[in-house]
Amino acid sequence: MSGPVHAALASDPVLAEHYAAFRKRAESALDARFVALIRQAIAAVHAMEAAAIDDAALDEGTRTALAYARRIPFEHTAITDAEAAQVIAHLGEPKFVAFSVVAALADAECRAALVDLPGLAGG
Amino acid sequence: MSTTPRVSSAIAGEPAHFGSVLAHQPDIAASFAALYGRFWGSDVVPARIKEVARMRNARVTECGFCRNVRFDKAVAQGLGEDVVDDITDGYEASARLTDTEKAVLKFTDALIHDPELLTGDARAALQRHLTPAQIAELGLGVTLFLALAKALITMGLEPEEMTRTVLPTPAVLEAAE
Repeated sequence: MSGPVHAALASDPVLAEHYAAFRKRAESALDARFVALIRQAIAAVHAMEAAAIDDAALDEGTRTALAYARRIPFEHTAITDAEAAQVIAHLGEPKFVAFSVVAALADAECRAALVDLPGLAGG
Repeated sequence: MSTTPRVSSAIAGEPAHFGSVLAHQPDIAASFAALYGRFWGSDVVPARIKEVARMRNARVTECGFCRNVRFDKAVAQGLGEDVVDDITDGYEASARLTDTEKAVLKFTDALIHDPELLTGDARAALQRHLTPAQIAELGLGVTLFLALAKALITMGLEPEEMTRTVLPTPAVLEAAE
């Protein structure tokens, strides 16, 4: 497990383990490549270093889901029922639930990195 | 922002709410419950401080559900509605919030809104009022508050109407340990 929150929790291994388990459960409900794309897309919205995504090489459903994920950081209240329905049509409800958690967690982790949570926590 | 659930309940006979929708993914729900229970059960950061940060997140993310829930452990530690009312823009001038709580609110704003808010004096104030272990635990909390509020909102699980509701503080279930 990597990431700013897990790193910050180095002094509390039990809590760190619980956090890692939660993130792993959420991410393992989706295809690993898809999870990586979600995290890349959201990191790019935050102007953090992230590999560029070649949207043209993706299928339409994945492109739709990534466009939705890119709205999570700064436009989460503006997402419409129609946009959500498009992603649900691609993923199905159970995976949409996991996708919602993974995308929101990716956004929050970027923000934790931007305030240097590990540095503040002495990690 | 929708108050119409975008995902159905996975529990027969129950309406769509955060728990019944998360039940589509039982492993995620169980691991979140274990994590959240452990987080709230820890006293490294007092529940009142955690709740101050959670209330600020609720207001900034516009999570009506989060805004109307109170956890009883924080209420027992003196977090009354007069204090909660001050967790709004301009909290820096509050006479009810402690200096520690104001430093926590600045950190919360920085994490959920603008990292530039945590430079210079604000960063020094946070480190003066909280230990590194407390900042780590608080950082975890704000991360979870933010992520879960956004997940709840984007799944259309905001209630149309909700009164203020005091709930038992999440706890680790003994059987899960």
